[in-house]
Amino acid sequence: MGQHHRILGTRHGAARVGRDISRRRFIGGSSAGVLAAVLASCTGGGQSSEENAAAGGESSGPGGPLQWWDQFRPLTEMFERDLFGPYMEEHPDVTIERRQMDAPDLGQALQVGRRSSQLPDVHSVAGLGSSPAALVSEGWFQPIGSHADFEGSPVADQIFDGIHRFDGEIYSFAPFSGRRHEAAPWLNTELLAEADVDPEQSPATWDDFRAAARRVQDGTGDGVHGVLIPTQDPIYLDALVHRLATAAGAPGPGAIDWATGDYIHDSQPYLDAVEFLVSLQADGVVHPASASMGPRDARARWAAGEAAIYPWGPWFIGGLLVEEPEAVERGVGVWHVPTPETTRNFVYSSPAPGVFWVSSESDQPELAADLLLQMTTREFQAKLAAAMDQPPALLDVVAEADVHPTYAQNVSFFEEDVRIGPVPEVATPGVWRVLAEMRDIHPNLGEIVQAVLTGSTDDVAGDLRRYKDELSAERERALEVVQGEGVEVDLDAWVFSNWDPATDYDQQAYAER
Amino acid sequence: MATIQQPSRTTPPGPLPQRRGRLRRIRQDWWIYLFLLPTILGYGAYTVYPLVASWWYAFLDWPGFAATGTFVGIENFERLLEDDLFWNAFWNSIVFLVVAVPLRVGLALALALVLNRAKTPFKGFFRTLFFLPVVTTGAIIGIVFTLLLDAGGPVSLAMVKSGLLDSPANFVADPDTSLYAGIAVWVWKWLGITMIYWLAALQTIPRDVHEAAMIDGAGGWREFRHVTLPLLVPFLVIITLIDTVAALNVFDLMQTLTGGGPSFSSEVIEIFIFRTAFQATVPELGYASAAAVLFGLLTMAIAVVQALGFRWARRQMGGAR
Repeated sequence: MGQHHRILGTRHGAARVGRDISRRRFIGGSSAGVLAAVLASCTGGGQSSEENAAAGGESSGPGGPLQWWDQFRPLTEMFERDLFGPYMEEHPDVTIERRQMDAPDLGQALQVGRRSSQLPDVHSVAGLGSSPAALVSEGWFQPIGSHADFEGSPVADQIFDGIHRFDGEIYSFAPFSGRRHEAAPWLNTELLAEADVDPEQSPATWDDFRAAARRVQDGTGDGVHGVLIPTQDPIYLDALVHRLATAAGAPGPGAIDWATGDYIHDSQPYLDAVEFLVSLQADGVVHPASASMGPRDARARWAAGEAAIYPWGPWFIGGLLVEEPEAVERGVGVWHVPTPETTRNFVYSSPAPGVFWVSSESDQPELAADLLLQMTTREFQAKLAAAMDQPPALLDVVAEADVHPTYAQNVSFFEEDVRIGPVPEVATPGVWRVLAEMRDIHPNLGEIVQAVLTGSTDDVAGDLRRYKDELSAERERALEVVQGEGVEVDLDAWVFSNWDPATDYDQQAYAER
Repeated sequence: MATIQQPSRTTPPGPLPQRRGRLRRIRQDWWIYLFLLPTILGYGAYTVYPLVASWWYAFLDWPGFAATGTFVGIENFERLLEDDLFWNAFWNSIVFLVVAVPLRVGLALALALVLNRAKTPFKGFFRTLFFLPVVTTGAIIGIVFTLLLDAGGPVSLAMVKSGLLDSPANFVADPDTSLYAGIAVWVWKWLGITMIYWLAALQTIPRDVHEAAMIDGAGGWREFRHVTLPLLVPFLVIITLIDTVAALNVFDLMQTLTGGGPSFSSEVIEIFIFRTAFQATVPELGYASAAAVLFGLLTMAIAVVQALGFRWARRQMGGAR
C-alpha cells in the first residue's frame, strides 16, 4: 500500500471542511480548541488570582467572601439570623459564607484544606482531635487580640493562657461555658408519667436511678426501654465514664490525681462507673439495640419513644428542635448527673476551649476578629442560649434568654454540679508539646467500656490497669522526647497540690500554684 | 490527514529509525494522544500519584495537622509489625476475603445457573431483583442493615420467634458475629453483579455441547461437573480476581455497619488506616500510609504464594497423569 490520503465518509468531500483539511485533522484541530477553551474556563479565562479577588472584592470584602466552617447544626439558623445577617447589613461590602459539617467530616476537610491551602477564614477545630496549642504551634492560626478588644469583652475572665492565649497573644475565646458535662439524663416525661416516675425528682443514688429505669421499663408498653447507652461510639462512652467517675469521687478532668500527677483510670471511682453501666445492662433496662447506635441514632430512638432516659450533653434539646421537634413538644425533662451515694460529688470540666479560630491563611483577620467579637456581647450570648446548644459563656444570660425551661433547669444543675478543674497546659506551656508527642493507646477507656458492654471482656480492672500503665509509659516517653528538644517540662506539670475539689480552679489558683 | 507508509524492506532494523518512526507517528496522530490526555492525566493524578505518594509518606513521621512530615526511615513499618491492632485488622481483612469471595462467587454461580435455565419463570424479574442492591450506595445499605440486624430488628425477632435464638441478638454489635454480619451484607449487596458475570459466561457455552452431553446420558449434576464447569474455569479465574479486589474495598459498608467494632472485632484494614489517619488524637499520616503499603505487600506475597501453589499442584497433577 503506497502513500495515500484516507478520507472517511461515504459522500465525496463530506469530510472535507476546507481544502487540504481531512476529517481527522478537523477533529484534531477542533478538539485542541475545545481543550483550550476548557482549560481557559478552569483558570478563569486567564486572569490572575489577584484579579479574581479584586472582582470579588466589589461585592464581598477585600479578600472575597469570609469563609466560615463549623459543626454546630443547631446554630445554623441563629448564626444566619443573629450574627451574619446583621453584620452583613451593617457592612454591605462584607459577605459571609458558612458551611456546616459533622465533626468527623470537618476534621478531614480541615486536614485536606490545610495541605491544599484552602482553609476557610474562620473555622472550629472539631474532628481534628488535636490540642489547639499544637495547632497554633504548627502555624494553623493567627492572633486576633490585636484586631479586636477581647481583653475588654464580657468573656475576658474566661481567656486562659495555653488555651486561648499563646505567647501573650489572644488567638481565640470561649463563646460557650466550660461548666457543662455529657451525662445529663434527658427524660421522656410522657413515658415517665406513664410509669409513675417523677421527672422533677432526680434519683439520689445510682441504685435509685436503676430502680427508676426498671419502673419505666416495667410500667410502659412493649418495645419501650428504660435507658439508651449508645455503645457503638467509644468517644461517647469515654466522656460518660469520665463524668460518672468524677461524680463517684474521682478528681478531674482527665483522670489525673492532682496530688501526684498520676493517671487514675484504674481507680475505684472508674471501676464503679463502669460497673454502674454494666448493672444497668444486667437489669435489662438498656435498649437492646444500644450497642449498634451512635449518639445521634440514640437521640432519634429516644425521640421515637423507644426509651425514656438518655444521658447526653446540654445540646440535646437544641438538636431535637432541629431534627425531631415533636419530641420537645411531647415533653422533655432532665435530672442531675447520677451519683453513687446521697453525698454528691462534683463533676469536673476544663475551662471552655476556644471554638472559632482565624486561619493563618486568611487575608481578612480584622474582619474575622471583629465578627468573632460580636459573639461576646450579652445580647448575642442570650441568642446563643436560645439556640439551646452548649450553654453560653455568660451563663447568667440563660435566665433572661428565650429557652425551654428544661434547658434552663439543666444549666442550673450544671452550676450546682460542675466545677472547673486544673489543666496542665495552662500552668506549663510545654505540656502541649508532650500531648502532641503522645501516641494514642488502644484500647482506650471508651473502647474498654465498649468491650465490657458488648461482652468482649470481663476483666475491667485488668484492662483499665493495663491502659493506665501504657498511658503512663507513653507520657514518660513523650516527656523524654520533648525534654530532649530543650522544652522545660516534667511530671510536676501534672501536679496541682492547691486544687480544692469544691471550687473552680481559676486564674488566681494557677498563679498561686 | 493520516498517511500510512509501508516500511522500507531494505532499511535494516535499528533503534534510531524505529524512534524516528515512532516520533513521526506521534506527530501524525497527535490528536489521538490529545484525546488520551484526560485519561492519562486522571490516571496519573488519581491512581499513580497517590500510589507513589503513599510509598513516600510511609517513611515519614507526619502528624495530620502538620504541613509536612519528617523522614524516619522504616520506623513506621517496625512499629506496625508490633502493632496488635494492625494484625487484628489484617487478619479480619483476610477472613473477609477468604469467607466472602467464595460465598459470593459460589452463590452467584448457583443463581446464574438457575436463572439461565430455559424453564425458570420470571427470569428477568429475578435478575433485576438480585441486581438492585448493586446500584444502592454501600453506606446506605450499611445504615439500613444496622437497623435490620440489631437486637430489635426483624431478623433477630424472626429468629427468636422461630426458635433459632433464645433471646434477641445484635448481630452487628456482637464481637463474635459483627465481621460475619458484614460479610453476609457484602455478599448480598454484590451478588447481583457477579451473577451477571456468570450469566454472560454461561451464555458463551454453545447449546450443542449441552445437547451432546444429554444425548450421552449425562444428568444435570454430571453435565455441570464435567461439561459446564470446565468450560467456565477461565471465567472463574477472572471473576474470582474481580471479587477479590472488591473484597478489599469494603470501607463504606463496614464503617457504616459496625464502625470496625465492637472492640475492633470487625475492623478491616481500611478502617484501621482511616482511624489512624483521621481519627487519632494526633493523626498519623505516615503510619497509616505504611499500613496501606505493608498490607499491599503482604497481600501480594500471599497471592504469589497462592499462585506458586497452584502451579505446583497443576504440575503434580500433570505428572500423575
